[in-house]
Amino acid sequence: MRHDRVGARALPREVPARHAEALATAPPLGLLRSAGARFALIFAGTFVTAAIAFTAVLWWGTAGALDRQTDAAVRADALALSERWRDGGVSAVVEGIEDRLAADIENHAIYMLQAPDGRRVAGNLNQWPVAADAPGAWAYTTVQREGQPAEARLHDIVLEGGFRLLIGRDIDEKTRLRQLLGEGVAWSFGAAITFAIIGAWLMRGMLASRLRPAFATAASIAGGDLSHRVPLTGRHDEFDLLAATMNTMLDRIDRLMSGVRGVSDAIAHDLRTPIARARAKLEDALATAPDEAALKLAVEQGIADLDAISRVFQALLRIAEAEAGARRRAFAPFDLAPVLADAADIYGAAAEARGQVLDTRIPERLEIVGDRDLLLQAVANLLDNAVKFAPPDGHVLLAATLRPDGGAEVVVEDDGPGLAPADRARAGERFFRADAARTTPGSGLGLSLVQAVAHLHGGSLALGDAKPGRESPGLRVTLGLGPA
Amino acid sequence: MAVALGVVLRAGPPGLSAEPQNVRVTTDSAEYCGSLAQRVAALPGGTVEPARSLAADGLRLCDNGHVRTGVAKLRRALRAAQGLETPG
Repeated sequence: MRHDRVGARALPREVPARHAEALATAPPLGLLRSAGARFALIFAGTFVTAAIAFTAVLWWGTAGALDRQTDAAVRADALALSERWRDGGVSAVVEGIEDRLAADIENHAIYMLQAPDGRRVAGNLNQWPVAADAPGAWAYTTVQREGQPAEARLHDIVLEGGFRLLIGRDIDEKTRLRQLLGEGVAWSFGAAITFAIIGAWLMRGMLASRLRPAFATAASIAGGDLSHRVPLTGRHDEFDLLAATMNTMLDRIDRLMSGVRGVSDAIAHDLRTPIARARAKLEDALATAPDEAALKLAVEQGIADLDAISRVFQALLRIAEAEAGARRRAFAPFDLAPVLADAADIYGAAAEARGQVLDTRIPERLEIVGDRDLLLQAVANLLDNAVKFAPPDGHVLLAATLRPDGGAEVVVEDDGPGLAPADRARAGERFFRADAARTTPGSGLGLSLVQAVAHLHGGSLALGDAKPGRESPGLRVTLGLGPA
Repeated sequence: MAVALGVVLRAGPPGLSAEPQNVRVTTDSAEYCGSLAQRVAALPGGTVEPARSLAADGLRLCDNGHVRTGVAKLRRALRAAQGLETPG
């Protein structure tokens, strides 16, 4: 046990050392190794992707719509003039072009009809543009208007007889509008990227600041200080939930460590005395026994003392097993009623020998799921205590009921001196003995085992006065067993 | 990011090419002003208001060098003469 304690204390010092060694041999902490940085990158990537998608839709719906509108107008015009060509030939198309140019108040229309020999027949271009040199092609080009360059969208169609018709639109205004839209989109995109970077940076900082207290607490715990806890922000978010869970875990570990320390101390203290007593008796007998019979008697007494110490160890092991839940695999459905009846029979005889009365109120059947042997031991401990502390003409009650939730309740009452409220709180501790009980035989492990058995069965142990207000209020012990 | 910004800022129509020769729009000329004025005058509604005033304004603008504005006025005069437009 001494060796274990040394190991348990040395462990926290080893953990940071191992971490430090691992960090020293690992590559430097890159940005991508930080979960906060990865979350921030995911956020920034999603934000920028959304901005690109939004920009693409906006562009398709504005600048793209302008292009599609122009192409649709040119295509419709080409179709109409082709029909005129079929109906009326060259003169009809020439007339159509002149009418269209004359009615073009927006001043966007561009036409040119070219003869098979390359001669210009009609239209408002002085020559055929090189950009529209492929029959049926669509092209963008630059034309001169009053000496100024202007963007134009052109469509070349071939008519019967080798004539070629060029239909186009001046898109200079639309191009300027497109440039304005482009500038707006570019600035918006730049702003989106800036916000994405700022948002990612804030998110990384926020994650780091929320996790920092947990890191600090974990480092303190690893350094051996179990008193540190993760501070809660009161926002009741996931980080608070994590902090609360960590704190609950740390409280549990702290309690277990305290328990281990308490048990170690108690074992060292409480078992030293009987061992020393047994040794002293044997030494005394060896030195002073007048004859072989007296020596044999002393040896037998020593063996009995050592058996008592062995029983204490067995009880401690049982408590440890129950607390660790190791015996849960022995759980099985069984009827608790005959178990209680057996215990009542055993302790009824002992009570009768002391002039006491042991009453029972046990239902015919009490089906539960649990460890039969442990429950028998727990009830036996309760009855042993009750018989031990009830007065010679006293009264002990063993009662049991099945709860509506499927659990069971076993109650043992006596009319002895009872337990002070302060002592009740400590009754479950190993080796605890109330001052009034110091003169009675016992190890102080009985109620510890009962409490461990109750917890193992998902229940609890409750202590109270059997007859409140009386001079000897007695003790009422309720062993609650959880539903299966 | 700078490349993307530049691409978007350029925002010109795709496949735009400059003509090696001077391809000129001939309807932005004083000659075309005269041609339009003749078309207006040839119409029965060309001598009545508002076509007459619009045509006169258009010719005056063309004479003063504001050819595109003058052509626009003359086109409106033609439309008015055809009974398609009210004065504005």
